[in-house]
Amino acid sequence: MQGGAGPPRGVRSGPMLAQPSSANAPAPAAGGEILVVAEAGPPPAAPFAAALQARLAAGLCGRAVKVLVVTAQPELALVDPADPRAGVAASSSLQGGAGRGGVVGALLREADSRGAAAAALVRGPERDEDVDWLRLLVSPILDEGFELVCPAYRRGRFDGMLGTAILYPLTRALYGARLRQPAGGEAGLSLAFARHLLEHPDWHRDPGGAGSDAWVVAKALSERRRVCQAWLGRWPGEGVPEDASHALARLVGPVFREMERAAERWQRLDGSTPVPAFGAPGPPAEDRALPDVAALAAPLRLGLRELDAVWGLVLPPASRLALQRAAAAPPEELRLDDALWARVVYDFAVAHSTRALERGQLLRSMTPLYLGWVAGFVNDVRALDAAATEARVEALCAAFEREKRYLIGRWRWPDTFNP
Amino acid sequence: MWQETKRIFMQSSADVLHAIARILPSVFAMLLFVVVAAVLAVLVRWAIRRTCDRLGLDRRLLEWGVVARGAPERGPPSRLVAQASFWAVLLAGAFLGLSVVQIPAAASLSLQLIEYLPRALLALVILAAGVAAARFVERSVLIGAVNMGLESARFIALSARWLVVLLAAAVALEHAGVGTLVVIVAFGTVFGGIVLALALAVGLGARDTVARLLERRFRAGSAAGKGERTEPERGRVHHA
Repeated sequence: MQGGAGPPRGVRSGPMLAQPSSANAPAPAAGGEILVVAEAGPPPAAPFAAALQARLAAGLCGRAVKVLVVTAQPELALVDPADPRAGVAASSSLQGGAGRGGVVGALLREADSRGAAAAALVRGPERDEDVDWLRLLVSPILDEGFELVCPAYRRGRFDGMLGTAILYPLTRALYGARLRQPAGGEAGLSLAFARHLLEHPDWHRDPGGAGSDAWVVAKALSERRRVCQAWLGRWPGEGVPEDASHALARLVGPVFREMERAAERWQRLDGSTPVPAFGAPGPPAEDRALPDVAALAAPLRLGLRELDAVWGLVLPPASRLALQRAAAAPPEELRLDDALWARVVYDFAVAHSTRALERGQLLRSMTPLYLGWVAGFVNDVRALDAAATEARVEALCAAFEREKRYLIGRWRWPDTFNP
Repeated sequence: MWQETKRIFMQSSADVLHAIARILPSVFAMLLFVVVAAVLAVLVRWAIRRTCDRLGLDRRLLEWGVVARGAPERGPPSRLVAQASFWAVLLAGAFLGLSVVQIPAAASLSLQLIEYLPRALLALVILAAGVAAARFVERSVLIGAVNMGLESARFIALSARWLVVLLAAAVALEHAGVGTLVVIVAFGTVFGGIVLALALAVGLGARDTVARLLERRFRAGSAAGKGERTEPERGRVHHA
């Protein structure tokens, strides 16, 4: 162990922690149409967009609506579903490459060129038609002057576990905003915020990271933009179930990357405040089946046995010892303490920042720990109802907020723990 | 008799002096080569260290797991690379210098060494790159195997590492021209044997696991291709 020598990283002088301040409140958007970009998946995508266009023919919130569809053939572009061949959008030279960033870049450019009052990025046709989801996504911008609307869905207790385990508590502890599902994949943006994002230097500095959900949310929260969440009804489903390690690399990597950029901001924040919400959360969706805790606990034990050399570069000995003790329990009794889990996530964030390991390897090596946490969560909430489960998540978030001082200490002096 | 001795001595001395006088310019030329090579070697060392610093080689090698953390006794890798380059240039200069000395055996030997030096250096570079890649591959395979729940993850990772090292060594030896045919045959035998052993181990020991993995992968891939939504397996967690 070394002492905390050396200057702190990514922080300026000034008060260390402050309560998150309330955002500025710009006036509601005036004039302009509403731009809706639909990511309807592989062809045929046009029927969904056409149905959407027909449904919105009468307008939305008293404004005209323009629907464009994301197409990947022959290249990533936005096309008009009414005329797919001629309708390649003028702004099809996308910022952010051909991935998710490219789609968001195209949306921003199109919103800018059209002067759209609000822009929405929506996904697939399987929607909860009991909820006026598109109105919920754009009306906070048009009527209330919000700049970013994040989606939230009615889901089962074991759906979107990565959000429950890491994304929600981490985003909340970092930026002080209780955004329940920060990586929803859909979004509503104001024109001013879209233009601000479009001009951001990250498109050139880090084309791979710009445009991700984490990037948009981090920009909005760290720059004190007006952010709200909208309950859009039943979760449309994940599509093809994603492997845990892929999901970790895809979703947690961008959040860690944004932590580096916004380090000055989040180190000054303490606690969290609720985010304005629109729509009704409704009752949670029914659980399909209880996950198999033995199958979830096994990778943790295997990881503790085989990945010690890798985790030794990331986690302090005390954390590894605590993990070993937790993993020694039978699968049905396995539990990872909330504070321990928060520290583990923070240690991985620090290792990501200091490049203690190649970043892809680092994120993938987190998989057994995450699965172990999921096993503990399932054990904790198997007998609980939805409200008590949410209370359990609240307790986890509180632990992340309490342990933020640990993160700040390690972030400023990463050599304090020298493996 | 004294006169004769004196004559012979004078004659021998004159011969030695003539020989020295004949060799001396080439010795000076050799020394000049060595001095120029030393200056060049210092410049090359400086340039390589600067390039390595700019590329962040030491940090990257640590990040990729090629170099173990907390083992600074041999110095950072960039220093090793720079030192190796320094000695390579100095050696090349010395061999060139030796070739101008008017000693037929030395000149012939030095010319052969000069001819061989680039191949030997390239073989060393191939071997070093192979060893570095092997360590990265080992860690990647280890993490992947643990995530797949394979109990013998470390053994699989070690196998992958040594396969890469073996491949790099075979290529390096072949490039260096050392026992070309023997190396190729030996490599083919060992590599083929390892692959056969692994195939048998997987086929006999993990047939069901591999079948399940392939089934899951192809089912997911086919559903993704058709844009279908697949129902999750009973008891599986939705992560994203």
